[in-house]
Amino acid sequence: MEFNIDELPVLFPYPRIYPEQYAYMCDLKKTLDAGGHCVLEMPSGTGKTVTLLSLIVAYQQYYPEHRKLIYCSRTMSEIEKALAELKALMKFRTERLGYEEEFRGLGLTSRKNLCLHPSVKREKSGAVVDARCRSLTAGFVKEKKERGEDVDVCIYHDNLDNLEPHNLIPNGVWTLDGLLRYGEQHKQCPYFTARRMMQFCNVIIYSYHYLLDPKIAERVSKDLSKDCIVVFDEAHNIDNVCIESLSTDITEDSLRRATRGAQNLEAKINQMRDSDQKKLQDEYEKLVEGLRGAGEGRQEDAFMANPALPDDLLKEAVPGNIRRAEHFVAFLKRFIEYLKTRMKVRQVISETPPSFLSHLKEYTFIEKKPLRFCSERLTSLVRTLELTNIEDYQPLQQVATFATLVATYEKGFLLILEPYESDTAEVPNPVLHFTCLDAAIAIKPVFDRFSSVVITSGTISPLEMYPKMLGFTTVVQESYSMTLARRSFLPMIVTRGSDQAAISTSFQVRNEPSVVRNYGNLLTEFARITPDGMVVFFPSYLYMESIISMWQGMGILDEVWKYKLILVETPDAQETSLALETYRTACCKGRGAVFLCVARGKVSEGIDFDHHYGRTVLCIGVPFQYTESRILKARLEFLRETYRIRENDFLSFDAMRHAAQCLGRVLRGKDDYGIMVLADRRFQKKRNQLPNWINQALLDADVGISTDMAVSSARRFFKQMGQPFRTKDQEGVSIWTLEHLKAYQEKKAEETIRELQAQQNQRQLMDAQANGNANGGAGRGDSDYEMDDDDEAELMALDHH
Amino acid sequence: MPPKSSSFGAGARAGTSSSGGGLPALSSDDMCPVCKTIRYLNKDMEFLIHPDCYHSMCSNCVNRLFNDGPNQCPYAGCHKTLRRKGFRAPFFGDLSVEREVDIRRRVAAVFNQVEDDFETLLDYNNYLQMVEDLTFELVHGTDQKRQQAEAQLQAWEAEHKADIERNRRAGREADDLQRRRIAAERDAARQRRIEAIKEAEEEKRERVRSREAELDSMQTGEAGGGGGGGQRVQLKRRGQVNKNTADAAANMIQDKNAAAAAGADGLGVGRLSIRGLKEKKRPPPPEGPYDPFGGLDFIPSRYTLEPKGTLNHPALDHWRLDQGHITGGYSFDEYISRAMFDAFAGLGVFIEDEKELGGQTGLSAGQVATIGGGIGAVGDKMELDAS
Repeated sequence: MEFNIDELPVLFPYPRIYPEQYAYMCDLKKTLDAGGHCVLEMPSGTGKTVTLLSLIVAYQQYYPEHRKLIYCSRTMSEIEKALAELKALMKFRTERLGYEEEFRGLGLTSRKNLCLHPSVKREKSGAVVDARCRSLTAGFVKEKKERGEDVDVCIYHDNLDNLEPHNLIPNGVWTLDGLLRYGEQHKQCPYFTARRMMQFCNVIIYSYHYLLDPKIAERVSKDLSKDCIVVFDEAHNIDNVCIESLSTDITEDSLRRATRGAQNLEAKINQMRDSDQKKLQDEYEKLVEGLRGAGEGRQEDAFMANPALPDDLLKEAVPGNIRRAEHFVAFLKRFIEYLKTRMKVRQVISETPPSFLSHLKEYTFIEKKPLRFCSERLTSLVRTLELTNIEDYQPLQQVATFATLVATYEKGFLLILEPYESDTAEVPNPVLHFTCLDAAIAIKPVFDRFSSVVITSGTISPLEMYPKMLGFTTVVQESYSMTLARRSFLPMIVTRGSDQAAISTSFQVRNEPSVVRNYGNLLTEFARITPDGMVVFFPSYLYMESIISMWQGMGILDEVWKYKLILVETPDAQETSLALETYRTACCKGRGAVFLCVARGKVSEGIDFDHHYGRTVLCIGVPFQYTESRILKARLEFLRETYRIRENDFLSFDAMRHAAQCLGRVLRGKDDYGIMVLADRRFQKKRNQLPNWINQALLDADVGISTDMAVSSARRFFKQMGQPFRTKDQEGVSIWTLEHLKAYQEKKAEETIRELQAQQNQRQLMDAQANGNANGGAGRGDSDYEMDDDDEAELMALDHH
Repeated sequence: MPPKSSSFGAGARAGTSSSGGGLPALSSDDMCPVCKTIRYLNKDMEFLIHPDCYHSMCSNCVNRLFNDGPNQCPYAGCHKTLRRKGFRAPFFGDLSVEREVDIRRRVAAVFNQVEDDFETLLDYNNYLQMVEDLTFELVHGTDQKRQQAEAQLQAWEAEHKADIERNRRAGREADDLQRRRIAAERDAARQRRIEAIKEAEEEKRERVRSREAELDSMQTGEAGGGGGGGQRVQLKRRGQVNKNTADAAANMIQDKNAAAAAGADGLGVGRLSIRGLKEKKRPPPPEGPYDPFGGLDFIPSRYTLEPKGTLNHPALDHWRLDQGHITGGYSFDEYISRAMFDAFAGLGVFIEDEKELGGQTGLSAGQVATIGGGIGAVGDKMELDAS
């Protein structure tokens, strides 16, 4: 399908388009033209990714600037999906245009997924793969090799040096699999191919972390130019990603290992001083000069990057008292010992970075400034010492990162020391949480650097919350409703059981037998009438376990068992994926199954229950966060004081976005149908916080009903959905062919013309008036005054009467 | 004296001894190396060290050995004579770090220059490294080197006594200020927390009240009216509360700024005769209060007003005494000064000149305005109402 938006020709790889897709494209184009940020919410399952890609690629190819697209998604599978879509799109474009465009699209993921080295790729853990890869590919390893020393190198990596640096891989879109295959054929490393080709790509698709986590972003995404278009897809959780990327937890064990790391470092330094004094001296000279060799700071084999943000990058020389290697190691040891001492305290402490620093200074004479340079200095030292077994130094790196962060940011962070795991624990297991409270800190450089940032998801309501929390302004902020030819999903809010008793998972009543029984009845009833698959979400693992055991005692599970297989999500990923497999088999075989899972677990995000895999989703209870957590409390307080977001508003917003995510699992397209049940008394008031498209489909008659009512209307719904339904019926309403689109555009254009005409008329009228006044000999001002006088006279007259 | 590692202590806690000075580490503090009491027998066992040799022992041992006056350290090979008074509980688990920090405390008390004392950053960094080298000699050096360093330290102290004292005072003040600031922030945060809770409670109560009012009004038959009114009241209340908190926050910020400014003044800058040290700058003379009109005064130059209350003329009595004029805020003197101002206003302003000036040079509107203002100010003092 080929059409124009304003003057921009768009090639859309499908013969039909949804109306909301067209609207989405228009708004996206508006944003790109205006050069600002936007927040867009589009219902799940309406082809968001392909819409986005086809518009942006069209935009890239049409305008001479060829602005690069950086597309960030959350999980591996989503990245794969986006790459596949892009590939299909480019194929379509080639066919339509008749020639192949100069275009390169690449996906980037971790070394673990892209490694080809025969022994390294067999490692299980990502950290080990990273470390081993570095030990084979680091710059000094190559130097050693050239000097004729016998060291292991990676042939795949070294082959890259024989190629032209800007043309490591031919044009085209490379999926991760394709990249691996190409790498295997040409014996070149796919990971470094992707990394090095990033500057020469039109589209990059990778995970959030490569842009948001300053520890990684500095290394990977530094060279991207300012006019890139950045897209965060599935961004409803973006604030949490930002916060996690800047927070660290330090335990006693990690401190112990950090000490060991520091001791190893000291031994290495002594060793090197005996054998190769020159190198240390070189490093020292460089530090004295304050030169951070150009490009050195972001070598791809660097041990770690500075966690502070590019703005705060330390441009000046390393302070004198950590210039020498041995001084620095002693400095680190002192800092670690201090942390160990702090960990011995047996009460909860929460303090701000300034108060931590002043205490630190008092007891160890460590100033703020050298602390800020900690991670920078450590990187330099590790490079000088040519360390290969880097995974041993990982805890030390963590401590250094912590040191830099704590000395860099005064606001928006908090240190919380929790000596016991839970309130009832007897054996201390202290954890020092260094927690970031302000999501805007991590994402700020992204907004500062790139002119257009698009934040989009299926469920990102309320829209105004995100700009507020992340500290940016939007050009366009839009939520699209879903156009439907028939009512293909039925949201309901059930607040009472069949016996008219209110149901809720609020803390006071959640374990009352009547509530538990009512939830059980709800489950049984829906298990009875739902064909094929059904998904149930609970607010937490703890509650799920307790309610399942109570149901077992009441015989409710036996009842459900008659209609469906019961499967349960566990915190263990492998178990869950096995359960999911079984669930899908059961749905395909026609046995049907119920999947019991948790609203904040893995299943609630990223796993689709399309078509017969999910006909009903039942959300038991409002999925609030665990509010007793000290970290959450601190964050709530911060939000209240800084952004004036009240605690309850934020908690409720957070709960509802998770609930909406759960509901969105079941509906993955326009030919799909399903029931969404929200079962809690408290949902009644939170209805407005649901995404627009769900809220619109939620009729007043379906709000606040009891179980039996819900069941009867669900039965009616399934009966309707059972009727034959052809694609043709949807045409013109929820699906547009090219003719429909043209007609719509014409209508739109006419409307605009009419509006413009009306405006023009009005303006003419106003001009005429103004002229008339001018001709009258008096200025406008005078006439106004006259009028005022008249009015006043009139008023006075009125008063007298 | 460099403490010798004793086989006595190290054997008991194999594997935990630190690599640095060979001092026995305290990390597995479960057994006293002197009396071999283990924590199981004495739950409240506490270890003490003496800063002369940093050998740790339990408090019972300290009492037993040193209560009767000075005694020798019970560690084999350590011939230090210790006194009861010197013993204290160590802050760090690793005693070599404890010792290092003690030395650093001494060094830091002497070398307390700050970055502002130096001309360039490089100088400051060199100074820092010099200090660090010295500290390292003191901590890890051989006997001879240590004595050298000690001598250096003392020489420096003697040489720069005044500067050290000044910097120390400045440092203490800065610390104090910092501490006060942190405390103030904490208090403010607590205050805000309390307020927020209060606010939430108030709102809840308000909601209940408005609901009751609504019910009442429904009971008496005025449907709709009560509900709407109640809601409006609630909205208004909330707005007010928000405003109040915003005001409070603004005040707090102001206070803080004021405190910070006060602190900046208190930071004195010392001067020292080492390389790269900055010339001491004279602080700029204190500025007077800010004058928005840039020194323009408003005393009329074309006429003088009699001092207040002295103007007495029968012709004016009408304006002074007539009940028809007198009202709240009316002042006869104000009236006179206003009248005089009106009479003289505009004298000395030549519109034609200004027009020419503007037209000829083609200046922008803003420039014309400034020139015009200048003419007004220079040619003749602008005559404004003194009120």
